[in-house]
Amino acid sequence: MDFDWTEEDAAYRARIRDFLARTLPANWDEIARHGPGSPEQTEFSLTFCPKLADEGLLVPHWPADWGGADRPPWEHFILGEEMWRAGEPRGAQYMNVNWIGPVLMRYGSDAQKAQYIPPMAEGRAIWCQGFSEPNAGSDLASLRTRAIRDGADYVINGQKIWTSYAGLASTCFLLAQTGGADGGRAGIAIFLVPMDTPGIEVRAIPSLIGHGDIHEVFFTDVRVPATARLGAEGEGWTIISYALANERVGIPRYEMGAATLDTMVAELQARGQFSDSIVRSRAAQAAAACEAARLQVYRVVDGRSRGQAPGTESNLARVAVVGAERAVADFGMDFLPDAFSGSGHDALLSHHERAIVTGIAAGATEIQLNLVARQHLNLPKGA
Amino acid sequence: MRFDLNVDQQTFATVLGQMLQGAAFAPVEGWGRYDLGTALEAQFDAGGFFDAAAEPDLGPVAAALMVHDVAGVPVCFELAASALIRPFLGRDVPRPLAVRVDGQPGALRYLPQARGIVEIGETVRYADLPDGAAQPVDSLYAYPMGELTDPEALDWQTLDADPAKLRALWQVATAAELTGVLRAGLDAVLAHVRDRRQFGQPLGAFQGVQHRLANAAVEIEGARLMMLRAAQRQAPGDAALALGRAQEITNAITYDLHQFMGAMGLTLEHPLHRWTYRAKLLKAEMGGMGAAYLSYATDRWGAP
Ligand SMILES: Cc1cc2nc3c(=O)[nH]c(=O)nc-3n(C[C@H](O)[C@H](O)[C@H](O)COP(=O)(O)OP(=O)(O)OC[C@H]3O[C@@H](n4cnc5c(N)ncnc54)[C@H](O)[C@@H]3O)c2cc1C
Repeated sequence: MDFDWTEEDAAYRARIRDFLARTLPANWDEIARHGPGSPEQTEFSLTFCPKLADEGLLVPHWPADWGGADRPPWEHFILGEEMWRAGEPRGAQYMNVNWIGPVLMRYGSDAQKAQYIPPMAEGRAIWCQGFSEPNAGSDLASLRTRAIRDGADYVINGQKIWTSYAGLASTCFLLAQTGGADGGRAGIAIFLVPMDTPGIEVRAIPSLIGHGDIHEVFFTDVRVPATARLGAEGEGWTIISYALANERVGIPRYEMGAATLDTMVAELQARGQFSDSIVRSRAAQAAAACEAARLQVYRVVDGRSRGQAPGTESNLARVAVVGAERAVADFGMDFLPDAFSGSGHDALLSHHERAIVTGIAAGATEIQLNLVARQHLNLPKGA
Repeated sequence: MRFDLNVDQQTFATVLGQMLQGAAFAPVEGWGRYDLGTALEAQFDAGGFFDAAAEPDLGPVAAALMVHDVAGVPVCFELAASALIRPFLGRDVPRPLAVRVDGQPGALRYLPQARGIVEIGETVRYADLPDGAAQPVDSLYAYPMGELTDPEALDWQTLDADPAKLRALWQVATAAELTGVLRAGLDAVLAHVRDRRQFGQPLGAFQGVQHRLANAAVEIEGARLMMLRAAQRQAPGDAALALGRAQEITNAITYDLHQFMGAMGLTLEHPLHRWTYRAKLLKAEMGGMGAAYLSYATDRWGAP
C-alpha cells in the first residue's frame, strides 16, 4: 500500500495548477459562481478548453489516434481533481472527456467518430445527456420517449427533463425506446441528436443550483437519419452501463469540498472566529468526511488503473462523497451564514450550489445504498 | 497511490487469517464479558507476530491490519500496544503492555495482564509492572480492565522516543482496533439479518435495515482506509483524523448493530457485545473524537 503520490504524479499536478493560475481570468470565481451549467460557464469553456487542448491537458488519457497521449488513469483523475478544485472550468465538456468521447470510440460508426470526436478533442463541443424524464428518474429504464423507424429515418417524440447544458449544447446523447413505450431496458437505443434539429424545444428550469443549469427538452416529430443511432437497437442499456460504470466517481467532489473548507477556515481566521473549540472540531469533522470519501474514490481509481472491472467499491465511494459534500456545506452555513447573502463569497456560493445536488444528480444516494446492500453486503431482495 | 498489499504482507495476512479461524465464540462462566485468547496469544508469540511492524517488508501497515483483523475475533488478548507501540520504544520491554496517555485517570485495558506500562505525554515513560502493581476491576467493557495500585511507586524511566510519533502510533492502533470491532460486529449482524425471518422474509430484505447497514459499511470502510494511510505515514494529522473519524461513527453504528440483532444481541450467549462493548471504550480513548478533531485542526490550520 502506498498512500502518497509519486514524484511524477506530483509534478503533473503542479503543472496543471500552474496552467490554471496562468490561464483562469481574475473574475473566474464570479463566472464559476453562476453554476456549472450556466451560460456564463458553458461559454467560458469554449475558450478555456481549446487552451487546455493546446497544452495537451484536455484528453491526455485518450488514445493518440484521437488526439490523446495514452496517459494512465491516475493522471486523468489528478486532472479531474485539479479542475474540480478550481470550480470545473471545463464546464459541460468534462462529460466529453470522461465518457462521451470514450463511448463513441468504442461503439460509434466510423462516420460518427469522424464527426464528433475531433471537436471534443479540440475543446469545442458541448453535449447534453438526455436520459431522465418526468416519469423516469431513478427508474431510468421506464423511460418513454419513442424513436420510431420511418424508412431511413427515426422520428422521435417525448420529453426529457433535468437536462444539464441543454441550452447551449450542440448535440444530445439521447435515450429512447425504439419499440413500444414499455420496452424497458431491452427496448432502449441511443441517438446522437443535433440540438438544432427541427422539433426540439428547450426550456430552462429556474432552480436552486445556478442559472440556466437544468432544462426541459421537448421532442416533437424530430426526424433524424438512422445513422444517428449509436450501436444497435436494444443495445442502449449495455452501452450506458459501460459508459457510466466509471462515472459514479467521475467527479472528484470531495476535492472541491476540501478546498472550500480551507477557504471557509481562512475566512473565519481572518475574522478572529477560529479559536473556538466547537468551530475547530466541526471543521475537522468535515475534513474527516472529505478524506473518508477521497480514499474510497482513490481505491476505485486504483482498481481501474490495474484494469479491474468496476466493482461495488464505486457505490460505497458515491455514498461517502455525498457525506463529504454535506459536511462541508453545513459547516459553512453554520459558521459563515452571512457568506450566503450579498456578494463577495463567490467560492462558497459556488461550492454550495454544487454540493446540494450531490445526493440526487447522477443517481440518488438511496439507489447506491440499495446496490451496496444487495451487491456488496449480499443482503436478500425484498418480497 | 496504490491499495494492494505487497507479497510479504499478503502472505502475512493469509497466515493470520488461518490462525484466527480457530478462535471461536464461547460464553464465559459467571456472566463474563470477555474471553482471554491465551492459546492464540501463545501462537502469536511463537510465530513472532508481535514484531511485525519492525519487519521492513511488513511494517506498521501490516501491523495495523493485524490489529484490525484480530479485533474481529470473539476472544481477546493484548495486541494493539504490542504491535504498534512496543517496536518503537527504542528498547526491549516485556509484553503484555498497557498504555496510558496524558495521565488519564481510571482503569486501563489489559492492565491485569500487563508486565509493563508506557505513558505517552510530553515525554514517553516506561515502567515494569511487578506483581501487585495493578489490580483487576469489574467493568462494563468487554476487556480485562485494571487500575494501578500506586502509579508513583513504579520505577518510571524516560525513554528516548518521540512522543508525537508514539501518540500517532497509538491513535493508529486504536483506530485499527475500533474499525476492526465495528467491522466484525457488522459481519455478525449481516449474517443474522440474512437468516432471521419475520413477516415472511429475511430481516435483511427490508430497505430500512439495508440502508442503515449499507451506510455503516461505507463509514467503516472509509475509516479503515484513513487508518491505513495513517499507519503508513505515522504523521500526527493523519492519525488524529483517522481516530476521530472512527470514534465519530461508532455511536450510531453500535446502536444499529444491537438494534438489528434484537433481544438476542443483548445476551451474553451471543458474541455481539464482545465487539460493541470494546467499541464503547475505544471511542473514548485519548479524549474521544472531540480531542482527536481538535488536534487535527491544529495540525492542519494552526494553533487557535
Ligand atoms: C443538478 C442536476 C443535474 C442533472 N442533470 C441531468 C442530465 O444532464 N441529464 C439527465 O438525464 N438527468 C439529469 N439529472 C437527473 C438525475 O439523474 C435524476 O434527478 C436522478 O436520477 C433522480 O431522479 P428523480 O429526480 O426523478 O428522483 P426520483 O426517482 O423521483 O426519486 C426521488 C427520491 O426518491 C428516493 N428513491 C427513489 N427510488 C428509490 C428506491 N428504489 N429506493 C429508495 N429510495 C428511492 C430517493 O431519495 C430519490 O432521491 C440531473 C439532476 C440534477 C439534480
